[in-house]
Amino acid sequence: MAHQAHAYHMVDPSPWPLTGAVAALLMTSGLAVWMHFHSTILMTLGLALLLLTMIQWWRDIIREGTFQGHHTPPVQKGLRFGMVLFITSEVFFFLGFFWAFYHASLAPTPELGGCWPPTGIFALDPFEVPLLNTAVLLASGVTVTWAHHSIMEGERKQAIQSLTLTILLGFYFTFLQAMEYYEAPFTIADGVYGATFFVATGFHGLHVIIGSSFLAICLLRQAQHHFTSEHHFGFEAAAWYWHFVDVVWLFLYVSIYWWGS
Amino acid sequence: MYYRLNGVTQRLTGAPATAYSPQGLRPNVPPVSPPVIFATPTKLASEAGSQVEYLGPNRVPALQKLFQMSDGVPVHLKRGLIDKLLYRTTMGLTVGGVVYCLVALYVAAQPGNK
Repeated sequence: MAHQAHAYHMVDPSPWPLTGAVAALLMTSGLAVWMHFHSTILMTLGLALLLLTMIQWWRDIIREGTFQGHHTPPVQKGLRFGMVLFITSEVFFFLGFFWAFYHASLAPTPELGGCWPPTGIFALDPFEVPLLNTAVLLASGVTVTWAHHSIMEGERKQAIQSLTLTILLGFYFTFLQAMEYYEAPFTIADGVYGATFFVATGFHGLHVIIGSSFLAICLLRQAQHHFTSEHHFGFEAAAWYWHFVDVVWLFLYVSIYWWGS
Repeated sequence: MYYRLNGVTQRLTGAPATAYSPQGLRPNVPPVSPPVIFATPTKLASEAGSQVEYLGPNRVPALQKLFQMSDGVPVHLKRGLIDKLLYRTTMGLTVGGVVYCLVALYVAAQPGNK
């Protein structure tokens, strides 16, 4: 039987790129069908297919790395590059929404009353729940770093505890933000203030949920002994993503909640 | 294995501590080790008894053996029946979804159907 004479990973043929592409097709056309014909079947099918694709694709990556040993140092380097590039693309995604916010708020039009917040909009007090949210996310940044050091030092119990704490803090943030959304005196339809506020914070909230899910998977993997003290890139990727989410919140808080109030 | 060449002395300096070290292989241990007794669970020096069984024993070596079997089965089907079922469900939804989507788009493209 021939063995490879290089350290790179030649992946087994996989159906998941195809199913993922079809999921994208079904979600987008499903969105259009929903808007015109009030039927959500196609979009729901697309979402289900997306979920199945993600589960099986990432499950296979775990199998290839942890169980088959394909994630050699050069391969890991590639994975690190990939995660860095992905997070960079997400930074640019948020940059757009910050651009929209500053465009609208630095030179408020006469229609808004020439002021920011616009006439009739009562901004949330930045020193109430938003400040608590800031503390919660900063604390979660500390706990995820604690988890990382625990993993590196082979402290299994501490790693599990600190990772669990991080995820709980993430859930607490989401819960607080949901309460804020419910209680807010303005909606997404309230002019450019509402639009920039809810689109920017809304996408951030979605990323918090994604980040919490990623960390939860890492918790399951840590409990199942997947991570070693020297090789735990899945966790590092989750931690990077979590720090990114935290930094975006800090920018949101300073720009929209504090300066913009 | 990974070795480092000292460019000045032109000699190998041995495997560095940060070399790729998958589970089941302890770094910096010579290939021939004394026979291990399996009567009691094997413990590494750093892992006290209280930590080994916290939230379940380590099943990774057994899974490594399973997934490294040379049977030509691709990784997405390697676990047998459950993988096959999930794959068929996903593919079924994929093909069915494409057909449904094309029909829906055809209907949507008809004039007067808004």
